[in-house]
Amino acid sequence: MSEQKPRKSAEKKMPKAFGWMAEYQDEHSLLAAARKVRDSGYTKTDAFTPFPVHGIDEALGIKPTVLPFIVLCAGFTGLGIALLMQWWMNGVDYKYIISGKPFGITPASIPVAFELTVLFSAFTTFFAMIALNKLPKFSNPIFTNPRFDRATNDRFFLYVEATDKYYNRDSVKELLGGTHPDSLDEVLEDTTPSTLPRPILLALLLIVVTGLIPAMIILNMRAGYSTAPRFHVFFDMDFQPKKKTQQPTTIFADGRIMRPQVKGTIARGQLEEQDAFYLGYDPSKMTMLEKSNSVMLVSAQTPSDGNAPVAATKTPDANQTTPAPTVATEAPKLPWIDKLPIEANEESMKLGKLKFETYCSACHGYAGNGDGLVHKRADSLAQGYWLPPTSMHIDRVRIQPVGQIFNTITKGQGKMASYATSLSPKERWSIVLYVRALQRSRDANIEDVPAEFISTLDEEPKSASPKTVSTK
Amino acid sequence: MNLNYDKASIEIPQSWRAKAPILFSAGLILLVIGMACSFLAPATGGDNTPALRYLTHSYLANFVYVFSFTLGALFFILVQFLTRAGWSTSIRRIAEILMTMIPYLAILFVPVLVMLFWGSSALYGWNASAKDMENSVVAAKATFFLTKEFFTIRTIAYFTFWILAGSWFFRLSRQQDESGDTELSMIRQKWAGPLIMIFALSISFAAFDWLMSIDADWYSTIFGVYLFSGSMMGFFAMMIVISMLLQNAGKVQKLITVEHFHDMGKFLFGFVMFWSYIAFSQLVLIWYANIPEETNWYRVRLEGNWELFSYGLIPVHFVIPFLFLMSRHIRRSRPLLLSGAIWVLFAHWYDMTFLVMPNAGSAEFFPMFGHFLGGIGMLCIFAAMFVQRASGVPLVAMRDPRLPEAMSYANPIL
Amino acid sequence: MATIASTFNPREIDNTDDIPGRRAPLITGDQSYNSITEMVCRVAENPQPMVWYIAFGFSSLTAVMFLSLIGFLILKGVGIWGNMNPVFWAWPIVNFVFWVGIAHAGTLISAILFLFRQNWRTSINRASEAMTIFAVVCAGIYPGIHVGRAWLAFWLLPYPSLNLWMWPQFRSPLLWDVFAVGTYASVSLVFWYMGMIPDLATYRDRSKSPLRRMIYGILCLGWTGSSRHWMRYEKAYTLLAAFAAPLVLSVHTVVSFDFAVSQVAGWHTTIFPPYFVAGAIFSGFAMVVTLLVPFRTLYKLENLITLRHLDNMNKIILATGSLVGLAYATEFFMAWYSQNPYEYFTFFNRAFGPYWWAYWTMVTCNVISPQLFWFKRLRTSPYAMFVISIFVNIGMWFERFVITVTSLSRDFLPSSWGYFRPTMFDGLMFFGSFGIFVSLFLLFCRFLPTIAMSEVKGILSITKHAAHAHDGAHANEH
Repeated sequence: MSEQKPRKSAEKKMPKAFGWMAEYQDEHSLLAAARKVRDSGYTKTDAFTPFPVHGIDEALGIKPTVLPFIVLCAGFTGLGIALLMQWWMNGVDYKYIISGKPFGITPASIPVAFELTVLFSAFTTFFAMIALNKLPKFSNPIFTNPRFDRATNDRFFLYVEATDKYYNRDSVKELLGGTHPDSLDEVLEDTTPSTLPRPILLALLLIVVTGLIPAMIILNMRAGYSTAPRFHVFFDMDFQPKKKTQQPTTIFADGRIMRPQVKGTIARGQLEEQDAFYLGYDPSKMTMLEKSNSVMLVSAQTPSDGNAPVAATKTPDANQTTPAPTVATEAPKLPWIDKLPIEANEESMKLGKLKFETYCSACHGYAGNGDGLVHKRADSLAQGYWLPPTSMHIDRVRIQPVGQIFNTITKGQGKMASYATSLSPKERWSIVLYVRALQRSRDANIEDVPAEFISTLDEEPKSASPKTVSTK
Repeated sequence: MNLNYDKASIEIPQSWRAKAPILFSAGLILLVIGMACSFLAPATGGDNTPALRYLTHSYLANFVYVFSFTLGALFFILVQFLTRAGWSTSIRRIAEILMTMIPYLAILFVPVLVMLFWGSSALYGWNASAKDMENSVVAAKATFFLTKEFFTIRTIAYFTFWILAGSWFFRLSRQQDESGDTELSMIRQKWAGPLIMIFALSISFAAFDWLMSIDADWYSTIFGVYLFSGSMMGFFAMMIVISMLLQNAGKVQKLITVEHFHDMGKFLFGFVMFWSYIAFSQLVLIWYANIPEETNWYRVRLEGNWELFSYGLIPVHFVIPFLFLMSRHIRRSRPLLLSGAIWVLFAHWYDMTFLVMPNAGSAEFFPMFGHFLGGIGMLCIFAAMFVQRASGVPLVAMRDPRLPEAMSYANPIL
Repeated sequence: MATIASTFNPREIDNTDDIPGRRAPLITGDQSYNSITEMVCRVAENPQPMVWYIAFGFSSLTAVMFLSLIGFLILKGVGIWGNMNPVFWAWPIVNFVFWVGIAHAGTLISAILFLFRQNWRTSINRASEAMTIFAVVCAGIYPGIHVGRAWLAFWLLPYPSLNLWMWPQFRSPLLWDVFAVGTYASVSLVFWYMGMIPDLATYRDRSKSPLRRMIYGILCLGWTGSSRHWMRYEKAYTLLAAFAAPLVLSVHTVVSFDFAVSQVAGWHTTIFPPYFVAGAIFSGFAMVVTLLVPFRTLYKLENLITLRHLDNMNKIILATGSLVGLAYATEFFMAWYSQNPYEYFTFFNRAFGPYWWAYWTMVTCNVISPQLFWFKRLRTSPYAMFVISIFVNIGMWFERFVITVTSLSRDFLPSSWGYFRPTMFDGLMFFGSFGIFVSLFLLFCRFLPTIAMSEVKGILSITKHAAHAHDGAHANEH
């Protein structure tokens, strides 16, 4: 384990000398000797001690290190990287709203910024120290002297290098000899063979090769394709003990996993399928329809695009690229009920207003014009593919029976989601009532105004302009 | 170790003693002018005239500002004995003098109590009569905890503890000046632990009572630690300034070495960081959870013309002192460290203003100018009190058995 | 075979009295540089005592059990734990915080006490740092296996992924944890290793076999003890200490943020950061005491890890324990003061609700048991401190349990209240982590320098020098 360089000189009989090394019992003798050597003008000197001896820097004339400056730079680098990284990753490249927190640098960026500052500084401290000390250095001529083993235990060594410009073998020996060392030896070059023993070399090679195997396997898997079936690690996740709807079974004679309803039973929620209050149409009148029940039912039960898009498409371009669905012309003509199944009193009107403003106004606007906040926002983004929410005041909606409006709320339409889970049937009917009131407010007569409020109107309303009418 | 010293070199300079009455009256005048400035505030709505609000808030902020130095001193003394520290022996007496100023400063708190009993709710909204209290949360607190009587009792309890602990430790220290008895150090070492626990409790609750209850709606469990961190930071800055001025006047020159300044500089730096840590912790938790009853405190501070002031806290109180005090070079250079300490004293005042003044109203020029004058006035009064307390007291505990240790240590690497 | 320390132990010398003006010796006996080397190197060079083999046998079996349970967990999913609505953050998080807390003592001792020039740290810092690393290892396991698909835990790191096209969420405190704990683990490791370099060189120079010499030689990077190296080394050590000191505070601060940034009553309170840090130091020192009391007896190191070291650590336990008590009190007071019904309910529920037993265990162990350390007899008795330190650790585990589980089991919606019941796997996987921890610590004793020899020698040098100067001064006077 030696350096490559001394090999040439190894051919000569005399090993090369690197300098003189004196050994001392304690740190005080070392310090005294070091001062003496320094005062004699030697600069290529060093001391080797088991612990940092105070005052040795001054005694040897060691200059302070640049380490703190390097670390300061590393710290600022860490801080900069952390802030930049967070700003770019969460503020630019991958914006993701988390409880309305702003993007970019916020108080939430500080912890990571702090940690990375410390991480960079600390690692730089360590590695810069190692590098400045020119470590690791496994072969060192000073190790050739067996006495030097005690330099890490309880002895103190002073070393004058032969490369010093004032170095003279004899005068240095004399100088060091005058400091009463325990021993004084010349540091000679390491003459032991410099190659690693073969078994160690083989073992190292083996470790490296085996270490590469997993990496190669992963690389191979990433790059290639495999036709072999996947290896199932999580068996109970991949093969769950359950039957899917269309699968066959051997349990029942007909082999179907989905069972028909047992005669004389009513499933949970099925009762509601019989009542116009829950449906918006009268199921008993279904037989009077010209088309078969099933077709009508399906079109009513599934949220279809309905007839909204025709009116909604904003630009002529959009009209061309996305032709209106054919369903639009064939709106389901179910036996919608025309009469509200709830009583139109002040209470339900208030409830309808409350629920309309909670759930509907975000898109349809408070007045039902189809200009809610969502619409305004989407419109301002001007992305071209936004279908505006339907206005309550277009003729198509105005002529709709109440049952159909109820059905729209229940099932949803187009982009509009179903509100059946959020609103009870009563609340939905109240909304229908409120929508009706909104619609009527655009088309009211003076007779609609209660007598006691007529006097409060400023002037005779012009027949053309819409006027607000108290819903009472 | 033999310590030859000249008695005169550890006494307060004669010229300072002569200036004390002038300083005191100048301080009072500045305080009054400052208060007068509050009356130039533009009138706004509300029960209390804005002038009264500005005036009382400003007085409290400036009072807590100077008082926190003495609290820091008390804690410092207790900790030095608790940890059996040797390095600080030669600067300890200055801190002890600061500590014994608590009874003098307590008098300055009397106006606040008088104001409470006079029935004013200009400073503490909870002192309003029940029918004026539209806020049910505050009303609930004002049933027994935030009442003028209980508040006064608590305040007296805090002061009693601080005064008793401080004067007892000071008395033992003075006795040691005469006898040099090591037993006197042992007693203090023994009692420092329990006293520090009571101290922690008292400063926490004093912070809740005096400062946090200005906005009686708001609460933050860390608030006591916040005041503590600022106080310690201010205390070390004050220590550096006082020791430096004493040395410039030719006193305690050999006893307080560059190593002590270096160490105090490190503590100053450390507490700048600690304050930032505490302030950040409070901010980030409230900012993140975003609960209305908590964010309101910050909303008041980050709205209108307070916004710029509050953001100013980051550079004034953290970035500038942090970067400035980071270097070992600066901590060991007297003029640079002194300027750093003076900056931190300003930063601490800035922080106290941030804590209190936004609750008085918007940041108007005249009340703020008056508040600044009042701060300087308080500092003058504080200085006069210090000179008064320090008269006839040696500035170094010369017979403390640990003094040789303080004289002979050297800072290692950092 | 050694037993637990006895007060009649001849090596047990009371050096806890500190007469002002005269510092009591930090290490007892008439020590020289060589005797320190001998004492420390003996730990690794001599054959290990029988206790070591028994302990290692048990702990490695436990560790193997823990690792197998992790495998089982990955196969079956986190359903094997008791985590169930509404308490989804249960034992794994409690264990994580528990171990991270313990991990605070090591770096605190080596960094903060270093900055405060507390020389007594030198005898205990190495073992505490080792303990820190091993505790972080234990802590890191739990979030890793708690993420569900543990093999994808590396998604927590911000790496440019061609598959995901996304980045971690930096506004989440859980991600701050990744950075804080990651930084803490790696910086602690560097700090620990750097401190060991000179001592590894001592091990190298004392090695008889060439293989041993080579391994230690590689580990110590060819350290010679050159003064130029020492100068940079000391500077680097100081700088690392200066970085590690705020880092220690930041780690448990960030862990406290995990809870405190939320709006859950009992979690969201601003004192959490300093209070968690105090608690972490508290539990960390308790664990150091728990480990070092048997350790010093087993390896006959009573002269190096003296009663004074233990006394000082117990004082820190007392101080931080009282701080934690103060924080409990402040929280309770503020629950009333805030007039927030949810806060008020939460704290009432903690003390008198279904988890009253956990709460009062916590208070007893954390606040009351360290108060025993007011008595010097207990502070300097290895038996007493061993028992109390274990109680403290039990208490600190329960503290995290109380915080996590009581708040979650009673949130704002009474319809989703529940009662958490751990399963067998919860218990075994907590117990198993001790297997990993103890095994690693025993291996550390077996192979690495357990006491920072070079630092102890440095302190000895200063003490001897001071004694010289003192004698000299006396001579001059007479």
